[in-house]
Amino acid sequence: MTSRRGFLKAGGLALFGIGLGGVPTFVAQAAEMIKAPGLFKRRKTLVCIFQRGAMDGLMAVTPFNDEYLKAARPTLFISAAKNPNGKSLIDLDGKFGMHPSMRAFESVFKEGRLAVVHGIGSPNSTRSHFDAQDYMESGTPFNKGTASGWLNRAVGILGHDAATPFQAVSLTSSLPRSFYGDHPSVAISNLNDFALQMKGNPMGANMAAKSFEDLYDQTSSELLKDTGKESFEAIKMLKKVDTKTYKPENGAIYPNSALGNSLKQIAQLIKLNLGLEVAFAESGGWDTHFNQGTENGIFARNVNDLSESMMAFWTDMGTLQDDVTVMTMTEFGRTVKQNGTGGTDHGRASCNFILGNDVKGGKVHGLVNSLAVENLEDGRDLKVTTDFRSVFSEVVDRHLNINKDNILFPDWNGNHIGMMRS
Amino acid sequence: MKALLKFFYLPVVLLALTFTLCSSFLMNEKEKMAFPYKASGLTERQAATHLLNRFTYGPKPGDVDAVIKIGLEKWFQQQLNGNLPDDSLKSILSQFDAIKLSNAQANETFPKAASVLRMAIKEGYIDKDSVNKGDKKDYREKLGAYIHDKGIQPPKELFRQFISQKIYRAAYSNNQLQEVLTDFWFNHFNVSITKNQCAIYIPAYERDIIRPNALGKFSDLLLATAKSPAMLFYLDNFSSSGTNEQMNPQINEALMNNIKDPNKKEALRKLQANKKNQGLNENYAREVMELHTLGVDGGYTQTDVTQAAKVLTGWTVYPIDENGPGAGYKKVIERIGENKLAERGFVHEGDFMFAPNRHDTSEKSVLGKHFALNGGYQEGVDLLEMLAHHPSTAKFISKKLAVRFVSDNPPQSLIDKMAKTFLDKNGDIKQILITMVNAPEFWSKEALTEKTKSPFELAISSLRALDATITQPYQVYNWLDKMGQKMYFYQAPTGFPDKGQYWINTGALLNRMNFGLALTANKIPGIKVDLAALNRHHEPESSSAALLTYGKLIMPERDLSKSIDRLTPMLNDPELANKIGQAADKATPRATMDNSDSDMMMGQAPIPNSSKMNRKKANSFGDNTMLAQVVGVIIGSPEFQRR
Repeated sequence: MTSRRGFLKAGGLALFGIGLGGVPTFVAQAAEMIKAPGLFKRRKTLVCIFQRGAMDGLMAVTPFNDEYLKAARPTLFISAAKNPNGKSLIDLDGKFGMHPSMRAFESVFKEGRLAVVHGIGSPNSTRSHFDAQDYMESGTPFNKGTASGWLNRAVGILGHDAATPFQAVSLTSSLPRSFYGDHPSVAISNLNDFALQMKGNPMGANMAAKSFEDLYDQTSSELLKDTGKESFEAIKMLKKVDTKTYKPENGAIYPNSALGNSLKQIAQLIKLNLGLEVAFAESGGWDTHFNQGTENGIFARNVNDLSESMMAFWTDMGTLQDDVTVMTMTEFGRTVKQNGTGGTDHGRASCNFILGNDVKGGKVHGLVNSLAVENLEDGRDLKVTTDFRSVFSEVVDRHLNINKDNILFPDWNGNHIGMMRS
Repeated sequence: MKALLKFFYLPVVLLALTFTLCSSFLMNEKEKMAFPYKASGLTERQAATHLLNRFTYGPKPGDVDAVIKIGLEKWFQQQLNGNLPDDSLKSILSQFDAIKLSNAQANETFPKAASVLRMAIKEGYIDKDSVNKGDKKDYREKLGAYIHDKGIQPPKELFRQFISQKIYRAAYSNNQLQEVLTDFWFNHFNVSITKNQCAIYIPAYERDIIRPNALGKFSDLLLATAKSPAMLFYLDNFSSSGTNEQMNPQINEALMNNIKDPNKKEALRKLQANKKNQGLNENYAREVMELHTLGVDGGYTQTDVTQAAKVLTGWTVYPIDENGPGAGYKKVIERIGENKLAERGFVHEGDFMFAPNRHDTSEKSVLGKHFALNGGYQEGVDLLEMLAHHPSTAKFISKKLAVRFVSDNPPQSLIDKMAKTFLDKNGDIKQILITMVNAPEFWSKEALTEKTKSPFELAISSLRALDATITQPYQVYNWLDKMGQKMYFYQAPTGFPDKGQYWINTGALLNRMNFGLALTANKIPGIKVDLAALNRHHEPESSSAALLTYGKLIMPERDLSKSIDRLTPMLNDPELANKIGQAADKATPRATMDNSDSDMMMGQAPIPNSSKMNRKKANSFGDNTMLAQVVGVIIGSPEFQRR
């Protein structure tokens, strides 16, 4: 693996263009040139959205002809039959119907850009949020000890470590487990705040920056040292570009939600040509044990936010659509049967959404058998018929051209299911 | 001669034996404190500093001396007792009226928007028909009048007061360990303001459930949290119920005989078993085992989760008021009569209620423990007691405490010692802590400054180290949010992860630096630091002298030589200000590190020709800006991020 320090050594030469340490000006200038924005060759970007809390895949994309499901969910089942208020499922293929609050997805599904994989999940049957998320993000469902996340390993395989601190960016307040590891990755919750701030005193800010950079460079804590370096690289780069006046294009309107704001900033980073290849955002509130609602309610609001945010991003990308793929993921699904409190408990398989021009869209991939009790896992949950690694692997293979499964998913040797165009 | 000797010695030996037995019996009551820090080569000062770093929110100026004067063991005992006088804190907290309210009062004072309208209609302030049509202005005015007359406030005000008191307590309380442990246990039994239903009960949850039990027995904490409205709503158990429909056994048998396929037979059996699940909600039952007691690898199965959920059916919230949750139950209770509740198998304790008609009466089995038919309320208590004393729980809780107080990866030998005390001493939290501090592992050199401060710990330790005067504590909260710890809003029941890797990332780290700079420059409204007073108005003669002096004041007993070596050349460079000035000249407008465009332009404008005066000012040490900056750099430095 390339050392993450390779690039940082180069970056350390030039502090805000001031030769405080006596670095020859021409070296500093050269370093500046190399890192000037716009010089990166445009690369493909994978955007991952983690739906934390376990999305009810059977409500998002419902096998609406299934009588067992109907019986198991007396107050949660939504019908595909047209009704006057227009709140029926969006019929995708005569078998599956998408939740009415995901109307925004209808056009891209019909155009063949959006695919659904149903029955996706982990081979490990844990129903603990924390463990299941950990396994999905480390990419090793039976090994808790894996130190790195699968997306960090993907970044390593891409091998552009020396180019930019923005190769992997998470729009979250803390670094997600998927990004843990040796390769540089940054967590930024708001691009506009990302600078050392001393109002009206740029000199002071520069001096503080220089001091901090020196201090973080010598500390004995590897964690603080590495993160410090990444921070300073990122600051320097963002300083050169305008992050404050972003206007989405093509009439895209992002929902004013956490996810909407994250995707908007990802779009911004992509357009700034900072070398972004893997982006990460989160969506919360999917743990619907209580009153999850049907056409309206918590779940409806969540899927509405998800679909509207993704579609705003897609619209905003415009001519860059070929360069992006968006993939959602969630730790597991929920019980087939509704529980006693108008919600659903922790289950097994769920579904996910993949949006992009490399996607074999317009189709619900995977296998969902009839939901008769004998077909269920432990007599209660939708069976996992597609290993999440099979889909993740296929998406990065086709979109990012990475096919080293032995590194991405070391203890997996399954097959792709053909959900991407070949 | 030998025989004689034997004769002579025997009583002595017996006496000695008796003495030993007695004292070991006494020892069993309470482990004696003797901190083995010398064995790992620590001085008393270093040991005192380590204690302060681990069991307080950071040393205030003079704290190390105070601990040495009291004696390390005695100081720790005082902290375990948690009853040092706190009069000045109390008088500060007296300004917050909302945090004293009971759940019912809080519900009345801070109702949800929807209930406000309902109440206003009910009490005749607003005509029901006018809500959806007619004069909007008139309607709003009437609603406004109602809100004013009734003294109704938005829930946000309750949380503002709650968070403010948290910050005051952490910064000022003399009983620091109690505050640290309150934080620890709250996070362990996490509930979240993000969940609307439980939000309003969270202040009372911390006040009545967590803080009083923080240094008590683990089983008391577990039981108290299980019965609290905050937890009952947060993990949905308030709504979980059994249905107790039994299938007719004859029909059942006939049905079974008709099916030949063994798989289908098994499936039908499961389906029938599931039928009885109606009303069941597994959320709390799972998390109480996974997160509160046994740990995810503690040896339970999905069946145990479902069975435990059944055991806990009927554990719910006593109807708090007419518009509040469970209001429907109010009528039921009125019909039965409060005095006859117990007779009917109800249990009513404060805001908790066990409702027998919601309880699953069937037989159950959890982790091999059998619960007979009609166990009622008691079986829930028995289940929680069993979980509280389970060996997996002893290990899980001991490890979590060791992670909090020793290091992100505590030695197994230490966890084992603590787990043994946990089991021997009935989950007595004080005793477990004593075992931990008596262990050499606690004092090992590797453990010193190994923990990364959480944003809250960073902020509070800065306030304490700089002896800050706090008048608007909520301002600190905005910074906590930026640094990645929006307290009380962590959505998942796991609570904030307690490890450095979670807290330290590019965005958060930058905001830690910005926090240091803003704090020392007195740019955080309502927080005032007096840096000169901190050094008794002895002015350091240069930037590097300031670094040395304030570094020692803020981080006692820390080896800062490397940091100082690294910064001194820059700070001593006579051309420093010029260089910085030139750099600023060269910078494009966008390249300044400022937040607002107008400020940036103002900062830029005078530099090219007339900025000599400014530069001089920045360079001379008489100027407070330079001192503020040096101390800001110390607060944002990597060393200060550790404890």
